[in-house]
Amino acid sequence: MEYLEHLNEEELVGQAYGEGAVGAEQHLEACGECERAFAELRRDLAEMETVEPPARDDRYGEEVWARISGSLPAYERHRWSWLPSSLWKGLSYAAACLLLVAGAFYAGRLWEIGRKPPVTANNPVKTTPQSKQPIVVVLLGDHLDRSERLLVELKHADPDSAEMVSPLRDEARTLLAANRICRKDAAQVDDPALATALDRLDHVLSELANQPGSLDKAEITRLQDEMNADGLLFEVRVLRARIPGREGPGKTHSNGGTI
Amino acid sequence: MGTNDHETIRAILSGDKEAYGALVVRHSRSLFRVAYRITGNEADAEDVVQESFLRGYRKLESFESRSNFGTWIYRIAVRCALDRVNGRRGRDDLQVAGDSDPEEGNVQVADPAAGPDRLLMSGEIAAMQQAAMQSLTATERTAFVLRHMEDRTTEEIGAALGIQPNAAKQAVYRAVHKLRQRLAQFRVNA
Repeated sequence: MEYLEHLNEEELVGQAYGEGAVGAEQHLEACGECERAFAELRRDLAEMETVEPPARDDRYGEEVWARISGSLPAYERHRWSWLPSSLWKGLSYAAACLLLVAGAFYAGRLWEIGRKPPVTANNPVKTTPQSKQPIVVVLLGDHLDRSERLLVELKHADPDSAEMVSPLRDEARTLLAANRICRKDAAQVDDPALATALDRLDHVLSELANQPGSLDKAEITRLQDEMNADGLLFEVRVLRARIPGREGPGKTHSNGGTI
Repeated sequence: MGTNDHETIRAILSGDKEAYGALVVRHSRSLFRVAYRITGNEADAEDVVQESFLRGYRKLESFESRSNFGTWIYRIAVRCALDRVNGRRGRDDLQVAGDSDPEEGNVQVADPAAGPDRLLMSGEIAAMQQAAMQSLTATERTAFVLRHMEDRTTEEIGAALGIQPNAAKQAVYRAVHKLRQRLAQFRVNA
């Protein structure tokens, strides 16, 4: 039987040393030509005698040691030298990283402390409603701005166009949570006018936000009537005007109050 | 053996120089065997053994504890032997074929130009092979010795020579091919 792909000499050498290609052994069993070439190779390899070195007795190692020991300097004894050098390297890197992280953390803490006034017995830090006011002012001002815009859009919304009202519902849902925070703070600072207005605003926002499905014409009309009857839009505008830095309806200014 | 060698190395790195003697005694003969087979002569092999242990001592701190010291020092010896052969070929045109004759004080030199009939007249198959081995490059010769005489795998040969396993396999093949050609010539002329 003839084979198109005979094993070349390199493949035969690999096979002779036990590192033959896949299928080489099977091919040799089936291909007479390759089998003959392989036999010749094995004969040649067998003739390549293993060179036997001159004999060296049991004392040879000691003789070698005697020749070289005088030229070897002793290693300096290190503490914890029982640890492998690779472990030493790992520990060194870990220690360096830890030092770096600790240093960065400490530097950050020092920077934070440097920004704050120190708290001492003569200068205690007190938390009062007054110190909270700047945060409340910024939040309330923005909330009233957005609420006014929503009320204006609701006032002028076309009850026949449910698609126009849908974005209002999404905005109402967002404003509802902020309104409740403002209501809570308004109660703490004892501002009845603000609290009342925010209560009414909460009602409108809830009605608008919690409508399932799309708003129908009747619902939109009812909300518009309620808003107009309460004068809610006017109240919101008045409240906005009371906040420092905010002027008149339709104008918004970012309050630069500190937080 | 591995655990003992590692403990010995820890002792050496702690300052006990004499502990290295135990490693030298344990591995000298295996290093001499491979050094002789690569260099082809006793004097060079002795030098290689000493140089290998000296290099090993200097590099002991870089020895990975998970490795086998015997394998590690063996690779150093192979590299030393290869360096010795490369250096020798660069210096000399004539190669030493055997031991010197102590009575006459002469060194027998194998003339590469000598015909195969002269070698065959000596009746030494080993000398014929030695002559054929001289036709190999240092890498081919070393790869062949490690494969054929030391029974190392292709991966081990590559690691010892610092080359890829495929390159090691190629070196073994080229060595076998050249040796077969030279031996075939000797047979024809015989």
